[in-house]
Amino acid sequence: MIRVRSLTKTYGRKVAVHGIDFTVEPGRVTGFLGPNGAGKSTTMRMIVGLDRPTSGTAEVNGRPYRELPAPLREVGVLLDARAAHRRRTAYKHLLSIAATHRIGAPRVREVMGLTGLEAVADKRVGGFSLGMGQRLGIAAALLGDPQTIILDEPVNGLDPEGILWIRGLLRRLAAEGRTVLLSSHLMSEMTQTADHLIVIGQGRILADGPMREVVAGATRSAVRVRTRDADRLITAIAAPEVTVSTRPDGALDITSLTAEQVADAAAASGVVLYEITTVAGSLEDAYLSLTAGAVEYRSAPAAGEGAVR
Amino acid sequence: MTSLATKAHRADARTRRPPFSATLRSEWIKLTSLPSSFLALGGILAVGLGGALFLALTLESSGVPSVPSIERTMGEVTIGTVVVGQIIAGILGVMSIGAEYSSGAIQSTLLASPTRLRALWAKAIVAFGVVTVVALVTVFGSWAATYPLYAQFGLDAPLGAPGVLPALLGAAAYLGLCAAFGVGLGAVVRSTTAGAIIVFIVTLLGPVLTSVLPYSLFSRVLRVMLLGNAGDAMARVAPEGAPFLDVWAGHISAEAGALFVCLWVAAALTAGAVALTKRDA
Repeated sequence: MIRVRSLTKTYGRKVAVHGIDFTVEPGRVTGFLGPNGAGKSTTMRMIVGLDRPTSGTAEVNGRPYRELPAPLREVGVLLDARAAHRRRTAYKHLLSIAATHRIGAPRVREVMGLTGLEAVADKRVGGFSLGMGQRLGIAAALLGDPQTIILDEPVNGLDPEGILWIRGLLRRLAAEGRTVLLSSHLMSEMTQTADHLIVIGQGRILADGPMREVVAGATRSAVRVRTRDADRLITAIAAPEVTVSTRPDGALDITSLTAEQVADAAAASGVVLYEITTVAGSLEDAYLSLTAGAVEYRSAPAAGEGAVR
Repeated sequence: MTSLATKAHRADARTRRPPFSATLRSEWIKLTSLPSSFLALGGILAVGLGGALFLALTLESSGVPSVPSIERTMGEVTIGTVVVGQIIAGILGVMSIGAEYSSGAIQSTLLASPTRLRALWAKAIVAFGVVTVVALVTVFGSWAATYPLYAQFGLDAPLGAPGVLPALLGAAAYLGLCAAFGVGLGAVVRSTTAGAIIVFIVTLLGPVLTSVLPYSLFSRVLRVMLLGNAGDAMARVAPEGAPFLDVWAGHISAEAGALFVCLWVAAALTAGAVALTKRDA
């Protein structure tokens, strides 16, 4: 269990994390989402004692990380996949970490097996691909068989097989009753792995709740129809709360009405529908709508996009 | 039953702080798993031994001194180890922490030792221990290898002669202390390059520069205080009846040298400890 209370971090006059509160519960995978510069990594670094909060507290299992007697046996952390000396072999890298907690060589071999690193055990870390580096970082996080696992962007650079593997691993760890906090930019990945979501933007919590609720709360589902008589249909369903938008391919997205209501109205006015579907909001839509006002580094719109609108 | 025992063991391991020796072992594994460590330690050995042998073998062509002097003989036995070894030892110390900052491995180190000082002490002790042992082998090897070469001219410095054994031990201890100094320095500057430059200045460049400074109290005090000069004194046999410290003549006794070197190490490690605990990783 991770508990963060009024956590604040300022660098000079810039506020990176703005008095945030949240709790990461055991038994589920909690996704930590936010644009670049939102304060995700800073928050994670404060939880594990690498950065000192300006004010507020972050506790793991009821204690600040720095006060845990044997931290690696309670918390497994992956913050930066490349955080290993390039000239050291993978095995020695893990062995040196394990030694600090009297974790033996058999466990080191075990996590190397678990993360698929046996074949490169005696290879120097400098020659690793990003994906291999991620596996090494995950192996280090698992060394102490911890109850709490904190992973920053673990799927970065992993191949599809690796992504599938880590998804299964995290689901299994959560099912065993462990606390799993995971940050990722990959929405599709988050949708398939996380049960609970915490969205952060400009150092503030924008949403904190079960995945389904966060997505439903931040997006609106719409009824998508395709017809030749768009104008007649729009007249038939016109009401103050109803909005209709035309998609580039000619389909209409209608909000505030159910598919039944749209179909009934169409039938009553003799409009033929070729297609009618209910479109639910995606995590990506929810994320974009939640963080719309909180993006630190926004890319300039591509030329021409404005003209189409 | 088995699972119960395992659980009890696990809970125990979780609530009990691992001993300091575990952190020492981790730092030992780190040092001995890098090719650069062996390069540095081999360098101390090769330059120390090679320098002493070179001076002894060229003794005849460079002019055999007419008056036997143990001070002079011992100076030539330890000079290679001290002059080049101090820089290599210092850089090895700086590297043990500077390379972790440049590679990001410092994260793993601090995650395992969140109180941080434990990691710093472990690094300093391992660097001191390893370098001292290698330096001991180097200076005693240099002494033994050159003994017959000096003995043929009656210039030999037997181990039993006053000051010989302390000079050999002092040279080795000085190198170990240079490594510990490097660890503290590395924690402050967080960069192998910056640390290496500072090591070079306080051990080798500084003593040369202060010797050309105008003759004043300031330049004289600076001269005896510099790490390189203080360390040099630790590896020397002082003439009989020499004072503890003579700032004007530039004489530093082995004891005074050891004191100054220890002050340098204490200052570097204190600054390193403050930097490590106060700053974000």
